[in-house]
Amino acid sequence: MSKALIYESQIGSVLAAVNRDQEPSWLVELRDRGAEIHSALGVPTMRNEEWKYTSLRSVAGVNWNPGEPGPAVFGEDPTYYAETTIRVVLVNGRFDRNLSDVPATSGLTLMSLRDAIYEKPEVAEYLGKIAAIDDHTFAALNSAVFVDGVYLHLRPGAAVAPVIEIVHVTSGEGMVIAPRILIVAEENSTAKIVEQYCSDGSSTNLTIPVTEVFVAKHANLEHVRLQDESLDSYHIALWETKQAGESEYRSYNLAFGGSIGRLDQNIDLNGEHITTRLDGVVVARGEQVIDNHTKLDHALRNCNSFEIYKQIIDDKATVVFNGKIFVHQDAQKTDAKQTNQALLLSRDATINSKPQLEIFADDVKCTHGATVGQIEETFRFYMRSRGIPKATADAILVYAFAAEVLELISDDVVRERLERRLYSKLGIDLGEM
Amino acid sequence: MLEIKNLHAQVAEDGKEILRGINLTVKPGEVHAIMGPNGSGKSTLANILAGREDYEVTGGEIVYRGEDLTELEPEERAHKGVFLAFQYPVEIPGVSNTYFLRAALNAKRAANGESEMGSMDFMKYIREKVKQLGLKDELLTRSVNEGFSGGEKKRNEIFQMAVLEPSLCVLDETDSGLDIDALQTVAAGVNALRSPERSFVVVTHYQRLLNFIVPDYVHILMNGKIVKSGDKSLALELEEKGYGWLEETVGV
Ligand SMILES: Nc1ncnc2c1ncn2[C@@H]1O[C@H](COP(=O)(O)OP(=O)(O)OP(=O)(O)O)[C@@H](O)[C@H]1O
Ligand SMILES: [Mg+2]
Repeated sequence: MSKALIYESQIGSVLAAVNRDQEPSWLVELRDRGAEIHSALGVPTMRNEEWKYTSLRSVAGVNWNPGEPGPAVFGEDPTYYAETTIRVVLVNGRFDRNLSDVPATSGLTLMSLRDAIYEKPEVAEYLGKIAAIDDHTFAALNSAVFVDGVYLHLRPGAAVAPVIEIVHVTSGEGMVIAPRILIVAEENSTAKIVEQYCSDGSSTNLTIPVTEVFVAKHANLEHVRLQDESLDSYHIALWETKQAGESEYRSYNLAFGGSIGRLDQNIDLNGEHITTRLDGVVVARGEQVIDNHTKLDHALRNCNSFEIYKQIIDDKATVVFNGKIFVHQDAQKTDAKQTNQALLLSRDATINSKPQLEIFADDVKCTHGATVGQIEETFRFYMRSRGIPKATADAILVYAFAAEVLELISDDVVRERLERRLYSKLGIDLGEM
Repeated sequence: MLEIKNLHAQVAEDGKEILRGINLTVKPGEVHAIMGPNGSGKSTLANILAGREDYEVTGGEIVYRGEDLTELEPEERAHKGVFLAFQYPVEIPGVSNTYFLRAALNAKRAANGESEMGSMDFMKYIREKVKQLGLKDELLTRSVNEGFSGGEKKRNEIFQMAVLEPSLCVLDETDSGLDIDALQTVAAGVNALRSPERSFVVVTHYQRLLNFIVPDYVHILMNGKIVKSGDKSLALELEEKGYGWLEETVGV
């Protein structure tokens, strides 16, 4: 059988495993639509413009099974990045009550998405309404098959001080894991979220998360997302945010994991006076392929968006960056700034980057810049001449490269732990910083 | 301290010969000034002492405290007390001056079997140096040389030197681009470091600096060779007569 046929028959079994009895009709409709789209689009090939540099042949060649609940005990405990009282853990896309800790917090609802679907009527207003699945085959599949996930709701005016940590662990082999995350920040609410994807040991699953975020008027959210799954796994995600007027959303995508790690991150700026950050730090080593497609849609006037992508590429790894910015006709006085930079640490490392600005308004300030470089020999020599050993000099320079983004993460503990992870990912031991 | 014998060197990339037989002996505690026209090889010599890999030594030797310097990596030279104040200090965005210096100092201490200096002690130590050199505290938190004015960069080189306390200090045109007050601060910083165990090689175009940092010897480098050596009066003579006079007398 050809890879495509194997894939179709296997995905058929993944789709069939979903128990839709008693699900509300809006969800059944979403699932049907998702299944239809995924069957129509299948696994994209490199002829698809959006997948030009990332081959999914290996994904199509696996006999995928439906996701099953993970073990009660891990081979390896996940690293937590926040020092916080509010943490939820999902194992194979299922909310784990034993590992989660959600103390009563004023204005915050944080619970299993499966429960929320039955208990919180407002979920129907948002779920599947933010993420555009029509041309995202794996988000469509997620819609068809997700069993659980997280529902995070901030009441109007809620100000949650502790960082909210969401940890996704996948465990086992050959499964399609489809976590679904819905975050709704009502008017004037504020919170900081760290969302992490990791593996229990060397799991080889296909993780296809969909994260939907709604940021209402005057709400202020900081959202860090770390993708750090095992190097044998596949991670193909959609992360979509809708912002209303006067809101602020600062997002940081740290992509370190996966044999293939692909993220489509879309932000719709649907109001005036919106502030948006869409930043990324990518570290790819070995033969990893890490592919980020970002899209900012400026619909209305007077909004600012800032995007900085820092990509560190070693060995034979490949990194893809595609950054779309649409400035629509009514989006006068838009200020949009995009920078994407790659630091190549080896001769065999590859970067494919494509900024894509489409501007239909005339009174706007939009800039973009892309650079590709290596560690500067003059920097290195200057540091060595002061006694700093070559390896340390390189580590400091790599850190400095990523720092412009990492320094923006406002929680000190989260930032420091992520920095440590960046170093360990690069195989650097610097001791005390 | 330093003995350079018949040193020949070329650009590694294209084999262009720059140094054509340099001889120079620097004893502990001495200050040697090197003067010479643009492009004569002064910075090349300074960079070779620090271990820049763009140059290849093709003949002769450099002996530093009885050891063949050319065998050592740049960081090893620094650990053993060699310091180069760059003609063009490098800007390193994203690396704070404090972090940079602490990494440098502790690497040197570790290489010499000393314990690391903790961050509290280190801050106290460098704040003192900042004060001694009349610098601003904000310099410490800024990225290495990033956005510094020309004069600030040069002063930062002397600051780094004061922190690392090297034995052989090579100053490559540290006086260029300094206003008269800054020149005096830099000279005072250098003079404060003068000691019987510490030697200086000072590359300059201007006799003016040598009023403040009084050299024991002045050498004139032309076309990759030291064509004339003398005491501090040689610098005055040069100021008066220019290099043309030497071209005639020594025939380069
Ligand atoms: N890396 C290099 N590649 C090619 N040529 C070089 C290199 N370094 C130095 N040179 C050449 O060697 C010669 C000596 O240069 P150097 O910088 O040592 O001169 P200098 O005496 O310091 O001059 P200045 O007074 O202008 O600073 C010059 O002709 C210069 O162009
Ligand atoms: Mg020079």
